[in-house]
Amino acid sequence: MKPAETATAIAGVSAGAPHRTASAGADRQNAGQRAAGWAAGAVILVGLSVVPAFARNGYTLSVFTQAALYAAMAAGWDVLSGYTGRENFGYALFVGTGAYTAALLDARLHLPLPAGIAAAGGASVLAAALAGVPALRLRGPYFALATLAAAGIMERFTLILWPVTGGEDGIYEITPLSLSGTVTYEATLVFMAVVVLGLYTATRSPWGMVLRAIRASETACEASGLNTTTYKIGALLLSALTAGVAGGLYAHVQEHVGPAVYSVEFSVTVIIMAFVGGVGTIWGAAAGGFLLTLLGESLRSLGPYRLLLYSAILLPVIIASPRGIVAPVLDWLKERQR
Amino acid sequence: MADVLVLGAVNSAVYAMLALGFTLIFGVGRVVNLAHGTFYAIGVYVAYTLVAVTRLPLLAGAAAAVLAAAAVGIGLERLLIQPVRRWTFAVLIATVVFALLTQEIIYAFYGYTSRNIPSFTTQTLSILGVTVAGQRAITFAVAVLAIAVVWILIYRTRFGSAVLAVAQDREAAVYLGIDADGVSRTVMALSAGLAAAAGVLVAPVLVVSPQMWTLPLVKSFAIVILGGLGSIPGSLAASVLLAYTETAVSRFAGSAFSDLVPLVVILFTLLLRPSGLLGQTVEP
Amino acid sequence: MRQRVIVLVVAVVVALGTAGVGPSRLGAQAGPLTVGAPGPMQLPVGQGINYGLQLAAGEINSAGGILGRKVTVVPEDEAETPEVGLAAMRKLLDSDKVDVLIGGQTSGVVLAQLPQIARAKTIYLGVGAAAPQITAQVQKEYERYKYIFRVSPVNSTYLGYGLADFVDEFVRPKLNVTKVAIIGENLVWVQGVLPAMERRLAEKQGISVVYKELFDIRTTDFSPIFAKIRAAGAQFVVPLMSHASSDVVVKAYASLKVPIPWGGIDVKGQEADSCDKLDGASVGETVLFGSPPIRVAITPRTIPFIDKYTERFKRPPVYTSFGAYDALYIYKAAAERAGTFDAEKVIPALEKTDYKGASGRVVFDEAHDVRYGPSYAFETMVQWQTGCKRALIWPARLATGGYVPLPWLR
Repeated sequence: MKPAETATAIAGVSAGAPHRTASAGADRQNAGQRAAGWAAGAVILVGLSVVPAFARNGYTLSVFTQAALYAAMAAGWDVLSGYTGRENFGYALFVGTGAYTAALLDARLHLPLPAGIAAAGGASVLAAALAGVPALRLRGPYFALATLAAAGIMERFTLILWPVTGGEDGIYEITPLSLSGTVTYEATLVFMAVVVLGLYTATRSPWGMVLRAIRASETACEASGLNTTTYKIGALLLSALTAGVAGGLYAHVQEHVGPAVYSVEFSVTVIIMAFVGGVGTIWGAAAGGFLLTLLGESLRSLGPYRLLLYSAILLPVIIASPRGIVAPVLDWLKERQR
Repeated sequence: MADVLVLGAVNSAVYAMLALGFTLIFGVGRVVNLAHGTFYAIGVYVAYTLVAVTRLPLLAGAAAAVLAAAAVGIGLERLLIQPVRRWTFAVLIATVVFALLTQEIIYAFYGYTSRNIPSFTTQTLSILGVTVAGQRAITFAVAVLAIAVVWILIYRTRFGSAVLAVAQDREAAVYLGIDADGVSRTVMALSAGLAAAAGVLVAPVLVVSPQMWTLPLVKSFAIVILGGLGSIPGSLAASVLLAYTETAVSRFAGSAFSDLVPLVVILFTLLLRPSGLLGQTVEP
Repeated sequence: MRQRVIVLVVAVVVALGTAGVGPSRLGAQAGPLTVGAPGPMQLPVGQGINYGLQLAAGEINSAGGILGRKVTVVPEDEAETPEVGLAAMRKLLDSDKVDVLIGGQTSGVVLAQLPQIARAKTIYLGVGAAAPQITAQVQKEYERYKYIFRVSPVNSTYLGYGLADFVDEFVRPKLNVTKVAIIGENLVWVQGVLPAMERRLAEKQGISVVYKELFDIRTTDFSPIFAKIRAAGAQFVVPLMSHASSDVVVKAYASLKVPIPWGGIDVKGQEADSCDKLDGASVGETVLFGSPPIRVAITPRTIPFIDKYTERFKRPPVYTSFGAYDALYIYKAAAERAGTFDAEKVIPALEKTDYKGASGRVVFDEAHDVRYGPSYAFETMVQWQTGCKRALIWPARLATGGYVPLPWLR
């Protein structure tokens, strides 16, 4: 059997898996619904691209730019953690490495922006190869802890190497992505679209099928002769690349990079976004990232109570729907329509 | 050199208090509780509120704080962990969001200005020629006592046998009529209480801030992973190991490097020997 | 489940709708003059900025405002971190569209905000951050950064000189000290103080720095540092601290009864109730002040300001309060001299400032930095004494009390 067929079989057979297997069912299917999905995506994208015309001021636009970045990051997280049963709790490692690489190359060596961002992606992939690949042997909470520790170590190093990294104060004087808020926004939007499209296609391909089978039952995959390690590494490197480039963009959008970009809070923020949007769907994670950034900002008027409300709402929702929100809900609606 | 010995001993005891509860929870429920550090923070802030704001005497405030943390632990177990115990990822997310929620609640009420908890005593002792703050000496004594009590509880009582049974095989224990969920709740309460007590003992010499839950969490992880998740003797041994390594590194290389130690321990233990020093061979 | 979808849709609508909400300010010449006040609003130093501005604004408004426009203060929390500070600045500039900025406290945050401020061509009067790099930009790229001014405190270099002068003029004769230790947080403002202090001490001769260390603000255990200080034979310890970790240092110092007198820059130690909050651990520590914490007439405006501030806000002013209060008056004077609010014309007027404010005499140098010296802005040393009382011990001409040894060394 070809790997894709094996994978379909394993993913389809496996019930009671901790993540959504409805996506396996969604694949056997209904072209009409998928076309509708693509159409919806296109409409949303067009809608987002004309936001600058309606945004009241540069501040709102900057919030949307952040939202697009987080959407891309969440999608990047999802391709590994939503598909292979390897929940990455140290995603900040990849984003942070990308951000610092771009920041250092720009502020210290004055390299051209595109080169810096490309290098950011490369550095992140390198970090993944060094720290992530060995950790792939671990599963579940162990992988989570290992990645958490790796990100924490990098956070420490930004402080230890303070003459280079600026320590607690970080790196400022980073060239902005563009002096025009609109250009910055559109560029980030394009990046988000490329990421979501690319990763979505990848996960719906035969290769992605295997990832899902690994999540469903890694042992079965190996038993049928699939080299799961190759696939896992692929997902990991893809995830790191996305995060690295996103981190590089982040540096040029914020014009400042500090140790916070390696923090546990950062990693957890992205995870929550992907979770709320729907783990294992790519577009769901992206939607979660986008919406939660906007929601978080619109709660800003609440001042110190903002994050409180945010997490207070989140908690019962996690308990009620341990597999995420947006995507499972929409799937449930789809089921209802049959 | 002597100061390393003495300080390392005090830290070992505190770390052991933190790690013991954590390893028990994992042993009993295969639960990785990312909110473990939160109990530590809760203990500190409740004690602070009772002592500094309502002027309760220190000992009463500390005791109340421990009980409060235990209560929160039971609530956490019952409302958040039990319903989603099947899904490891959901447990991780639920506990970390709970930790963030608590951080934000603390932040909303106390802001990010740092608070100060008075020491139990301002006396100093001289041990092996090293000036030791009285607070640290008391910490050591109380911690050792607490550990001894827990040891006796686990290895010499009926309840302890139930705990060990559930840790070994939860389903079999249930078949034998043991209330596994009840055991989990009690263990959580114990764990939370220990963490809170550790916090109250150590807080007088530390910064008290809403983010203070992350550091004890990392240390607890490092210890239980090094010692082996689920192994009590392992946790005790690893506590001592970690504490002394950190103190030595801090003394000779500076505290910027000593903070690296627990993180490096976690990463390398997981990569090289996931079951830890003395752990049961856990499926990594 | 369906309810959740509805909630989500509502959330989306609300998010999109309110994300665009924000007072959109009119142009520069009409309506009230909005003063953006960025700072760590939850900390006393941040509130000090707001209160100082409120006091000045109230006085100015009841006298007719600035060129006929009333002043409104818009505080925004920076939380001492660049991430929050950047968002706060973006909000002030892009959403609130403030006319002028007065505030700032953490150097790392201000440095991160400078490019935005420069792009927005908005005048910024710094009142709390000391890093020399902030105003160095003015000389390096004048056209781009000319909007940046610093009213207080004196920059890190001068802080270093002030500390060295204190050690040489006071500590050496009084306590017979020839060896000092300097320890500071590893932050950009400290990185400017330490070398300056060493340079000045080297000039003085007879005092050597036997130990120096920059520590992480996240450090929790200071006993290794203290042990190393003692091993080096230091006779006086100079701390350089501004963050929350300073509480830990003070508590540790007292609880370990380190047998070496000490004192330097301790921003948290400047607060009137900091000694009480630490149960008296600060007693014996000397704390550097630019603006006096005690009713001492540095200028004729000083005491009236202290009294009015204390009466209205029920607590004494902190250094940023002085700076903010003076800064608004300085801006007013410059705008009136220029006859307009146009930044391009106000800046030359600001450069000619020679103002006797509540904190001292403010004159800017070529880098728009406040000048340092006995007839300009200068430093004083105040000591926490028994019962958490404070006495100004240096310079001698302003002293209100004598030096008191550490409680455990008596």
